Amino acid sequence: MSSPIAEIRDLTKDYGTVQALRGVSLSIESGGIVGILGPNGAGKTTLVETIEGLRTPSQGRVSVLGIDPSREPRRLAERLGVQLQATELPPDLTVLETLRLFRAFYEKSLPANEVLAAIDLTEKSNARNRTLSGGQKQRLAIGLALVTDPELIILDEPTTGLDPAARRDLHKIIRSLKERGRTVLLTTHYIEEAEILCDRVVVMREGKVVADGSPFELLQRAQGGSTVWIRVDKELDPVGLFRAGAQPTGREDDYYRFTTEDPAAFVVALGRTLQEGNLTLLDLRMKRPTLEDVYLELVGTRSEDGDGEGS
Amino acid sequence: MRAFRGTRALTWAGFLSTVRSKAALFWTMAFPIFLLILFAYIFGAGEAERVAYLMPGLWTITVISSSFFGISMSMVQERENGTFRRYRVSPLSPIALVSSFGLLQVGILLSSLLLQGVIAWFWFGSRSAGPIWVLILVMLFGIFAFVPLGLLVGSIARDMKTAPVLTNLLFFPMMFLSGAAVPFFVLPDFIQRIAKLLPATYLVEALQGVVVRGEGLLQLGGPIAVLLTTGVLGLAVNSLLFRWESTQPLKKSNLLIALGVLTAIYAVAFFIAPDLRMSIAPSGD
Repeated sequence: MSSPIAEIRDLTKDYGTVQALRGVSLSIESGGIVGILGPNGAGKTTLVETIEGLRTPSQGRVSVLGIDPSREPRRLAERLGVQLQATELPPDLTVLETLRLFRAFYEKSLPANEVLAAIDLTEKSNARNRTLSGGQKQRLAIGLALVTDPELIILDEPTTGLDPAARRDLHKIIRSLKERGRTVLLTTHYIEEAEILCDRVVVMREGKVVADGSPFELLQRAQGGSTVWIRVDKELDPVGLFRAGAQPTGREDDYYRFTTEDPAAFVVALGRTLQEGNLTLLDLRMKRPTLEDVYLELVGTRSEDGDGEGS
Repeated sequence: MRAFRGTRALTWAGFLSTVRSKAALFWTMAFPIFLLILFAYIFGAGEAERVAYLMPGLWTITVISSSFFGISMSMVQERENGTFRRYRVSPLSPIALVSSFGLLQVGILLSSLLLQGVIAWFWFGSRSAGPIWVLILVMLFGIFAFVPLGLLVGSIARDMKTAPVLTNLLFFPMMFLSGAAVPFFVLPDFIQRIAKLLPATYLVEALQGVVVRGEGLLQLGGPIAVLLTTGVLGLAVNSLLFRWESTQPLKKSNLLIALGVLTAIYAVAFFIAPDLRMSIAPSGD
């Protein structure tokens, strides 16, 4: 548990004059779900494909399960589960036949029906791949990553282009991998996905890591204050609140609205104010910065300035 | 052992895909039969002996068209659409992958050729002058020579746009100059000399040797040697040119080696090959 499952040091990758990665260092411990979050062109796919051994680093060191992916990709492949951003499945094979095909590539592999159960495709086992829906195809693509029961599973944008229900199904499958003690590394450009699914979020921008931590830790980094709405039964004297650093931003219906950098101090001051003025607090609402706010601050813009990364 | 398991599984998957695809079934089974019937009635008037005389050319056309347009195209397609890329992140080796294409192609081709033979035998009543086992052996040598060449085209062609250009460039000279489509003895002398550079010529020669002249393996030693050499060199060169992704550049040095080897095949064929007996018009004795 102590030694990392993947270790990346000062990784750079150039495509001609374009620098896709500009010095990425990352250490991934065993267990849990790590999400790489960033807009298109941030270098997410280049990063995971370098970890998979599909791309050779320009500079820097990569070690995955103690193996250098660019030197011994096939030895690494034996212990690594990969779902590529686009997976082309043989259209005329059935789901079961496709799994059996991939099982034959590995030294050790799980029984096909166990994989089918894990990706919730048992009922579709005899359906031809060409008849599968987008979500089912993606589940099969993840199933192919699971046939060898790998320690590390890398999923490149597993939910992109899926409808919300299919996305939720995939989230369930990915969580179950974590529950079985596997390590999952996934890329996404959905903030909500990173927030609800990942134990750790690595935010990338223009080939660099700009933030790294649990969703909760990233929230702490939020700049800009929380907004607080309070409703009391009589006229409020806000001087105490001002002293605690709150800024009045007007009234909304019966509510006083403030912003504050320090919600804890605000609440303490509010208690005192209520007591001194003999007021009753009827309602209190607070809106803290979301992960999305943090993300937008970090990557500057949410707009997709895609440079054709991946695909 | 494991490489073998991967090859076997891929070959089986390829077989299932072929059997289930109407287009693939048409090209591998219906088309060769169609070609045979067309040849037999147009050029052979449906007569047993004349059809027998046409069979070597027909088999050769089947071998080269299937080798060049069958696997080479599906290889290029699977590389282009990213199927190979998915295999690349598994422990599957390039040799296991290419072998599966080769094995599938050998199986498909052999069934096409035998099917044509069976129809010629039972429908037209054609007979081979030489023993059937020699005939089947020569077919296998032909398949062994051409399947690697098809794989080679599949490795060199960058995408589905360049692949047909490349295959047609190889296919048409082989079809018309080798004596497969046009009787060899009617070709002018200088064309015959160029035809000696094409491996297809030696397949027609060997097949005619068995079917028409009733020759044994020893008498066919020259053409068979050319076919085997073509196959061995084709396989060797294949390992140099394999690419997982169509975006990967071909190494220029490897491409040069490949071209050099191919030139060598033909040069050898040109110099050591015996006089082709099919260049003499049948006297009708």
